[in-house]
Amino acid sequence: MRYFAQRLARFFVVFFIVTFGLMILLRLGMNAPGDPARTMLGGTVTDEQIATANARYHLDDPLIMQYFWWLKGMVTLDMGTSVQQNIAVSSYIGSRVLVTLFLGLYSLALAIIIAIPVAVFQAYRRDTRRDKAISIVSFGLVSVPNVVMAVLMVLVFVRTLGWFPRTGEKIYPWDDPVEHFRNFALPVFALTLPVAAVFTRLLRGDMIRTLQADFITLASAKGVSVRRILWRHALRNSLFSVLTSIGLQLSGVVGGAIVVEQLFNMKGMGTLLVITILSKDLFVVQALAAIIVFVVVVVNLLVDLSYAAVDPRIRQMRSLG
Amino acid sequence: MSDTTSTGPRRTLRQRLHLPRLGVLFGTVWLGGLTILTLLANHVPAAVPFIRYYDTKVKVNGKVKKYGFGPGLDAWFGTGKSAEDIFARCIYGAKLTLLIGIGATIIGLVVGAVIGVLSGYFRGWTDRIAGITTDSLMSIPPLLLSLVLVLRLDDLKEQYSWMGWISRPWQLSLTLGLVSVAPFARIVRAQTMVLREREFVTAARSLGASRSRIIMRELMPNLVPAMVTVAFTGLGILIAAEAGLAFLGMGVEQPHTWGKMIDIARDDIEKAWWATAFPCLMLFLTVLSFNLLGDELARRFDIREAAV
Repeated sequence: MRYFAQRLARFFVVFFIVTFGLMILLRLGMNAPGDPARTMLGGTVTDEQIATANARYHLDDPLIMQYFWWLKGMVTLDMGTSVQQNIAVSSYIGSRVLVTLFLGLYSLALAIIIAIPVAVFQAYRRDTRRDKAISIVSFGLVSVPNVVMAVLMVLVFVRTLGWFPRTGEKIYPWDDPVEHFRNFALPVFALTLPVAAVFTRLLRGDMIRTLQADFITLASAKGVSVRRILWRHALRNSLFSVLTSIGLQLSGVVGGAIVVEQLFNMKGMGTLLVITILSKDLFVVQALAAIIVFVVVVVNLLVDLSYAAVDPRIRQMRSLG
Repeated sequence: MSDTTSTGPRRTLRQRLHLPRLGVLFGTVWLGGLTILTLLANHVPAAVPFIRYYDTKVKVNGKVKKYGFGPGLDAWFGTGKSAEDIFARCIYGAKLTLLIGIGATIIGLVVGAVIGVLSGYFRGWTDRIAGITTDSLMSIPPLLLSLVLVLRLDDLKEQYSWMGWISRPWQLSLTLGLVSVAPFARIVRAQTMVLREREFVTAARSLGASRSRIIMRELMPNLVPAMVTVAFTGLGILIAAEAGLAFLGMGVEQPHTWGKMIDIARDDIEKAWWATAFPCLMLFLTVLSFNLLGDELARRFDIREAAV
């Protein structure tokens, strides 16, 4: 329980620091009163419009008060208006969140689905030729930058083989599952392969270490089948590094998603982020960044809590870092 | 990586002859060769006549033609959108890519090491504050943070004249340096925690050594191997990050780095594959080389895989 409370407290502190820090960063240099409103509205605006925006979004308050007004706005989906489109930010973002969400979710899930069997196989057949070959391939994959991976996918599967389209049309799985997966296949593979390689390498190392433990020897002496030892006894005790790195990898996947969406012309948060950054639409940038940070922090919290689920020892531990 | 450092009687030919691993050999040759070529091309162009000048147009029958040549003898990597030689551009681009990467690594390593050593040595409140700081830095995806930072530095530069010295390459180095502070700090902290319990530190303390002496003379020298190792892995990652930023339009305008080259040619990928494929290849091989060397160093110094 104490562990749970500690993690939760850390979650709120980190979220506050990051989002407040982002707000300060995005407001730096806006010294004159009315500057934030002018940035928000864009173009030439009358004093009256500035006053309205100030009143509505409390842009004249001290920064910390503004922060809480902003937070309230985020929660109630009143995120301000966009400079470029002159429409509410929330409706602007809303339709795009799903695309990026699918992209991230599929990539991470697929990475784990690929990594676990491969790593278990490698640990079981340690130092054989096949193990070494897989190790070399996964080492190579770790070194492929996202940009390169995405370009490679286009070159091979779109240009040469013509199996997949290079469009990112938004098709929901509940409308047309086949087309949905066809559209997402390449971007997801481009994102997932390097991550899968990282997971495989981590898990292989941990599995090999676990397989040398005494309780494994005991289990096999008692006649437990190899399959059961590998998948039940050893795997469960080897999942820590992978669990820990899910949080880290998520950050990488989000960054990769920005790049991949751009290359495949998908209408997700990544492309929106790039558009708004290039057009200096700071309030949309702030909202997008906050959403992304929120997801990353929540996932990290879940990872921390899942330690406790996997390992009873942590539940009893009084404090951890 | 599989450990092939077998201690048994069966030793491979490579081990008997004390040759370096193939990967290390490749990494050293690639990085060394690239550095020499890019320095020569930038500063002593006469020494490398086979590399065209940055602005030279490769003409087809006397005319400038978009994507005139594919890879071949006329232009090794083909020619690009404005008839530039892709091979030459790849070589020229390497200098800035490497410099930005190295600059960022140094900034990240210095700041990260200070935070890491202090929090690992003093623990307690120092450690808590440092921990929350690194946690916070790590909750923003690096690419997102760098995009925002580069954008803001652009604006602030216009507004405050004292920031005028920050050119785009500096902007990128500072940004990527800040992004890499947290992972570096974590690794240094973990190493410091282990070292501070060792006998030689206790011995130094019992001899009455001051805190600063223990940190500077006892801990720091022992942290160098770990720091060099993560610096290599970090360099690979930061170079990839720089490419990502350049690809998204936040890179250096001139000369084009590899990421920028990919960005320029990506819309024509279907008719002129070479204009994107070769910068990609350069990027991959360079990142791979840094990783191979980092991996070897980690093995030598026996540092457990530090996933930056």
